[in-house]
Amino acid sequence: MIRLEDLHKTFLVKDKRTHAQRRIEAVRGISLEVGPGEIYGLLGPNGAGKSTTLRMIAGLMRPDRGRIEVCGVDTVRRPEEARALVGYLSTDLGVYSRFTPRELLRLFGEFQGLDARVAERRGMHLLEELDLMDFADVRMEGFSGGQKQKVSIARALLHDPRVVIFDEPTTGLDVLTAKTVLDLLRVMKAEGRAVVVSTHVMPMVEAICDRVGIIFDGGLHGDAPPREILARWGVGSLDEVFFKLAEARA
Amino acid sequence: MNGALLILKKEYLELSKDRRTLFFTFVMPLILYPVIFFMMSRLGSQDAAARSGRPSRVCLTDPSQVLGQPLRAEPKLFQVVPRPPGDLRQALRDQKVELSLEVDPDGAAKLARSETLAVKVLYDDSDESSKLALDRFKGLLGRQETVWVQARLGRLGASPQLAVPVKLETVEAGGMSLFLGKLIGSFLPYLLMIMMYAGAMQHGIYATAGEKERGTLLSLLSTRLPRTQIIIGKLLYIFSIGILSALVNLLSMALSVGRLVATADAHPAAVTGVAALATPSALGLTFLLMVPLGLFFANFILLGGIQARNTLEASTALTPGIFVVVFLGVFSMAPGIEKLAWLPYVPVLNVSLAIRKLFSQQANGFEYLVALAMTLVLAGLMTWISTRMLNRESALFRV
Repeated sequence: MIRLEDLHKTFLVKDKRTHAQRRIEAVRGISLEVGPGEIYGLLGPNGAGKSTTLRMIAGLMRPDRGRIEVCGVDTVRRPEEARALVGYLSTDLGVYSRFTPRELLRLFGEFQGLDARVAERRGMHLLEELDLMDFADVRMEGFSGGQKQKVSIARALLHDPRVVIFDEPTTGLDVLTAKTVLDLLRVMKAEGRAVVVSTHVMPMVEAICDRVGIIFDGGLHGDAPPREILARWGVGSLDEVFFKLAEARA
Repeated sequence: MNGALLILKKEYLELSKDRRTLFFTFVMPLILYPVIFFMMSRLGSQDAAARSGRPSRVCLTDPSQVLGQPLRAEPKLFQVVPRPPGDLRQALRDQKVELSLEVDPDGAAKLARSETLAVKVLYDDSDESSKLALDRFKGLLGRQETVWVQARLGRLGASPQLAVPVKLETVEAGGMSLFLGKLIGSFLPYLLMIMMYAGAMQHGIYATAGEKERGTLLSLLSTRLPRTQIIIGKLLYIFSIGILSALVNLLSMALSVGRLVATADAHPAAVTGVAALATPSALGLTFLLMVPLGLFFANFILLGGIQARNTLEASTALTPGIFVVVFLGVFSMAPGIEKLAWLPYVPVLNVSLAIRKLFSQQANGFEYLVALAMTLVLAGLMTWISTRMLNRESALFRV
């Protein structure tokens, strides 16, 4: 369902002190595959290249080199078609706070090519699953982080995507909301969707991910089930893999 | 195009949820201008009525009694008052008197000898009452001079007509309508430009840099809508809000001025003059020019807004644009610019010129078409640049 081949992405950044421009290789040579009904966890410290990789899969960014296919659709050549297959949740908890969840979902349904009434019906179903029906007609101005995240998840899943990409979906959420999100990810797996999540939360990885890839300095280190990775590195937790990678770089 | 219209719908839906912004954008101008115009006219007319309805206080120093009698003969215009104590200049500034006249002490004898009489006038040019007093005195003196000159001619046995060698007859060819047309034509382009730009700027920043700041842009970009259509949708929003703001402001001003002209003791020609200006063709042709100009401004705002990291940066980048628009507006109000041969070929400024000529009965079809075509090309070019530049990741993901 998702296939990445030798993905590269470079950014130009300006040094504030010297005003010189330099290239930063955010992603270098990442290749991986995620099949239907599989949850793939992308792990890595901040700035490792996780979000960039996810944005490229979601058709938001173009790789400098390499190839991405989502359900057989090339995301570079046919980005709109690819985006229609993907449900993407970013790290930003931003929602259109002047709207109610019902209005937002109706509108985004139209953006995704759905009839407004169908979008609203699907949206209400998702809000019910996420236990947010009581707030369907409340303006989102005063919503908590968890409530905003739930609306964003409903927005990402509104068009029934076959591929789901969640960038740090449980960051900043309380344990109950985080559990709701994890349960939803399990449902999506059961429905045969390909799911990619990036996270810092190791227990979450161990609980739901079928396979994990560790991104460090833009490169993918290990692409295997969590237990296999631990065994390969001879450590007891995934945190220790990070430490070893950091030591190796130093 | 459907995607662009969906984005436009989203922007207006969002705006419709913010009653305060709606009020300040569309309702406030409808209240503000009538209130300002009413207060200004009320204060102005009260002041003018108060000035013209009472005699000017004149402090007269005239030992030989040359001007005392003529001044006292017109009690509705002049009131001769004793010299106030202290500095006379300060008394004028304190509005204790409006005019001070100091007549030659030997005035009567000089008049009798047919010599020139010297009168020293002290007045305050910054005070309307003092200026009115001076005008009244000049009128009185003019009439009195004719009497004196004709008396001298009589003594010499010459015809009194010698004192009036020329009888001037003036016929006004332009009329009040043309005067008003030139007046409106000179400041209308300025108003249109500033209202379109300023009206669209904050909304444009909210819809572009604001989306980045609020973290909503990514969700929009992750939909199946093509990016070009998202950008065009935003552009349509900024453009339409600029046009609407300008129209609401102008409508309010037009209604206020119309009411002022109709209710005040205006010259009857002013009423017909204003009516003659507001022809559907003049207004329609002006609106036609506003469309590409508004699109040009909208592109400028869109570029500044999406390139910025946040609303503060966008605001800082776009505010100098107001000064540029003000400069263009002030330039277009300058007298005599319609005589500059190269002006019809300068983009944006030729729009000012074309509108100015539309309202001053000097419309030139060729110049109008040149202005329209140039602005259309410019707006099209800017739209092409915007959609290309803003499609870049460096612009969209610059945070």
